[in-house]
Amino acid sequence: MKTRIKELRARYNLTQEDLAKKVGVRRETIVFLEKGKYNPSLQLAHDVAKALKTKIDELFIFEK
Amino acid sequence: MNKKNSKKGKEKIRLIAIVIISLLVIATGALFSLKSFMKGEIAGGVTGIIIAILILGFAIFVFIRGNRDMKEGYPLRDERSKRVMEKATSMAFYVSLYLLLVIGFLSDSIIKFRDISQATGIAVGGMALLFLLFWIYYNKKEI
Repeated sequence: MKTRIKELRARYNLTQEDLAKKVGVRRETIVFLEKGKYNPSLQLAHDVAKALKTKIDELFIFEK
Repeated sequence: MNKKNSKKGKEKIRLIAIVIISLLVIATGALFSLKSFMKGEIAGGVTGIIIAILILGFAIFVFIRGNRDMKEGYPLRDERSKRVMEKATSMAFYVSLYLLLVIGFLSDSIIKFRDISQATGIAVGGMALLFLLFWIYYNKKEI
């Protein structure tokens, strides 16, 4: 899984800490999410997408 | 705001509970070691001390990290840390079944346990150690 979290976070000038606090998770979770090493719940995916003003399917790219 | 404060209060209680339980486990480990030393079983005593030190180290790490995170406004647990905990717990449980089988099998032949409490102590210590190792593993791994 690839994500555009880092790119969008930079666009809105948000640090990993800012995003973590905004969606109510630990900073490591954002680190793992950015690296595509964590499959989030639908709720968290929705919250991150909302915080980055985008849609879930534009934020997470699944590869077969 | 009230909901946030209540959540913070709950997390503080959880952190204190972790510390109290860890201290109780360490105290039990120390008593177990003392009993072994008094009976002249150096290996059993040293094993108990090593396990107690490992648990103490883990408890200190959890407390310092939790306290720092709470001050900085992060949650003590989130969905990823809960998932890591669940995976580590379930794997430690499965593997400890084999550990118990091995202890049971070897206790009649190779290993001579002093009594049932020594065998139980080693099994419980082994389970704690397995949990710690799986927790470290899943904390680094993709989940």
